[in-house]
Amino acid sequence: MPGGTITLRNLTKRFGDHNAVDDISLEVHGGEFFSLLGPSGCGKTTTLRMVAGFEEPTAGQIILDGADVGRMPPNKRKVNTVFQSYALFPFLDVAENVAFGLRYQGCTRAEAKQRVAGALDLVQLTGYERRRPGQLSGGQQQRVALARALVLNPSVLLLDEPLGALDAKLRRALQVELKALQERVGITFLYVTHDQEEALTMSDRLAVMSNGRIAQLGPPRVVYEEPESAYVADFLGVSNLMDAVAAPGGDGTCRLTIGEFSLTSTCGSLRASGPVKVAVRPERVGIEAFVASGDNRVPAMIERTVFLGSSTQVVVRLAAGAGLQSVVRNDDPAAGWVAGTPIKVVLPPDALRVLANDGGTVEQIHEETLGDVAPVPA
Amino acid sequence: MAVTLPDATGAAGEELFAPSPAAGARTPPAAVRRSSIIARLRRRAVFLETFTWLYLIWSIIPIGIAVLFSFNSGKAQATWQGFSWRWYVTDPTQSVLHNAELHQAFVQTLVLAGLTTLITVPIGVAFAIGIDRWRTRTASALNFVMIFSFVVPELLLAIALFFVVTDLLHFLPLGTTAEVAGLVVWNLSWPAIVVRSRLVTIGRVYEEAAADLGASRLKALWRVLMPMLMPAIFASAVLVFAGVIDDFVIVEQLSSTAATQPVSVAIYSNVHGGLAGPALNALATLMLVISLVVAAIGYVGYRLMTRGERKNTAEALTTIAGM
Ligand SMILES: Nc1ncnc2c1ncn2[C@@H]1O[C@H](COP(=O)(O)OP(=O)(O)OP(=O)(O)O)[C@@H](O)[C@H]1O
Ligand SMILES: [Mg+2]
Repeated sequence: MPGGTITLRNLTKRFGDHNAVDDISLEVHGGEFFSLLGPSGCGKTTTLRMVAGFEEPTAGQIILDGADVGRMPPNKRKVNTVFQSYALFPFLDVAENVAFGLRYQGCTRAEAKQRVAGALDLVQLTGYERRRPGQLSGGQQQRVALARALVLNPSVLLLDEPLGALDAKLRRALQVELKALQERVGITFLYVTHDQEEALTMSDRLAVMSNGRIAQLGPPRVVYEEPESAYVADFLGVSNLMDAVAAPGGDGTCRLTIGEFSLTSTCGSLRASGPVKVAVRPERVGIEAFVASGDNRVPAMIERTVFLGSSTQVVVRLAAGAGLQSVVRNDDPAAGWVAGTPIKVVLPPDALRVLANDGGTVEQIHEETLGDVAPVPA
Repeated sequence: MAVTLPDATGAAGEELFAPSPAAGARTPPAAVRRSSIIARLRRRAVFLETFTWLYLIWSIIPIGIAVLFSFNSGKAQATWQGFSWRWYVTDPTQSVLHNAELHQAFVQTLVLAGLTTLITVPIGVAFAIGIDRWRTRTASALNFVMIFSFVVPELLLAIALFFVVTDLLHFLPLGTTAEVAGLVVWNLSWPAIVVRSRLVTIGRVYEEAAADLGASRLKALWRVLMPMLMPAIFASAVLVFAGVIDDFVIVEQLSSTAATQPVSVAIYSNVHGGLAGPALNALATLMLVISLVVAAIGYVGYRLMTRGERKNTAEALTTIAGM
């Protein structure tokens, strides 16, 4: 590994009496693609700006390859930034933009020329040297910004919603490209986004942030499949969330009461008791005929079915009042049932995840997520 | 005569404004019941247009007449006696070229405008950057001074400066030195305000990008901020230059002898009991031409410098007009 380890220790940034970043500790390994994910205003940009050196931490340390850089000016740090607005210098052409920082690395003219050519080749912009930023498309500008940072061989690249200004299709294409590029150059990417799909598909690991704190940190699959709190489950748009009352069951299981029905759960915070949130992913919600019986089955009614192409989404309402979405195969009989059909919903014990009661900051409840299709990571 | 110049630029602004209601009236009515509103709008547009034209005529005709009579071959100010360059060059004693007083006034105006611009703009730019980028106590004080000099009546400042120069600062003699000093103080808020508003528009992200790429604060200022401020610096130079040409109150107080009188003062003192005559018209016409040329250069230059930025005509004009 060429270095590029970032350690944040109790990092805090206060604006007035508001903690934009509140006691964050995490470690990003060298060569890792690490994302900070969270809703608007949760402190992602502030964290990134502290690592870049544009904001001074109120407290805590930023350790880059073993050295505390918390008070070092940005031009002395071996990190480079790709800004959300790109911040390309409008009065310089593409080649001059990319060459801007080389001057401070003591490059000879010939060497600079060669490195600029190399960087432009890396982002597939050879031939655009003499264009001004104003004469480039959004995606091309984004690549110039990338080349301008990468040409300096930083050990860490900071990216603040670098795809935020692009349309959905280009976004997806560049996500793949950016990830491939990161693997090729092997430097650490600290990536900020509020788009959960982007974070889930690109990152090696990610941290979900909430109000300046880290709500959960881990690899995408773990965070997606095993959200530790209602907040994370909700933000990742993963799940159906239901209110339930928990009580310890036998054999380390958890007994959940939803309305007048009793269910068993074998995953999540099994020792919880009292009111909790329960998450269940749409793929795991089974639908059977009303006459079916057995454990973990709850009566409900079909509210509507939505054909998704490769599958069908069935929205149901439990007798207890909660709405749930289920995704079934197109050849499942439930896909053909009309609205108003009474059914039984099957919620397997290993799919019912009891979420720690974090007194969460969940704004949305399941009512609002109904109709949205939960994204599934590739 | 120089005093009427601002009116001429004001009129140009009016003209810009006038076509838009007219264009609104030309759009076809969407529904029949709206037609009465449209009719009313059209009446209003006609009224606005008429008023604009009256205003233009009212402000331009006197200037036109003054300019016209600067080419009169005779001395009369009311009867046309044929075209000639007499009052500009050919009259051996009274033409602008040969009358020492008029000639000197013309040169003095250009010298004052040039010197004042050269001194004011760099200081103003420094002030703007200082106020906007270094948020300190000094910056707030500077900001207050900027606004203050906007509010203080020019005459008050002129008289105050006169007493300061004659009673306190004896090393600062009346005449060109004092005039430039006074003009710099009076005009400083132009570059400070124009450049500062551009600084706000630009934001800090380009400087941050430069710092991120390894540039020190000063290097970022020089390599990134300066080029981006160029249109504003240029526009404020034009404003200051044109402002000095127009100035009367300060230079009147701080000039010493006839040798340091600029055009405005020369015209004023000669109309009231000096050599009145078409030569004054000629001098005023020259100043008018210079003002127009400077404004045109400013407008075209600003458009060229901000070419990539989707600026429209009105924006260029208002920046040049210092709004
Ligand atoms: N310079 C500042 N002064 C005061 N408050 C600030 C400043 N910068 C950020 N904040 C506040 O800090 C909080 C976190 O802001 P930050 O920009 O880090 O959010 P973010 O997670 O990047 O959001 P977004 O997704 O909208 O970019 C917000 O409440 C914001 O209002
Ligand atoms: Mg942000």
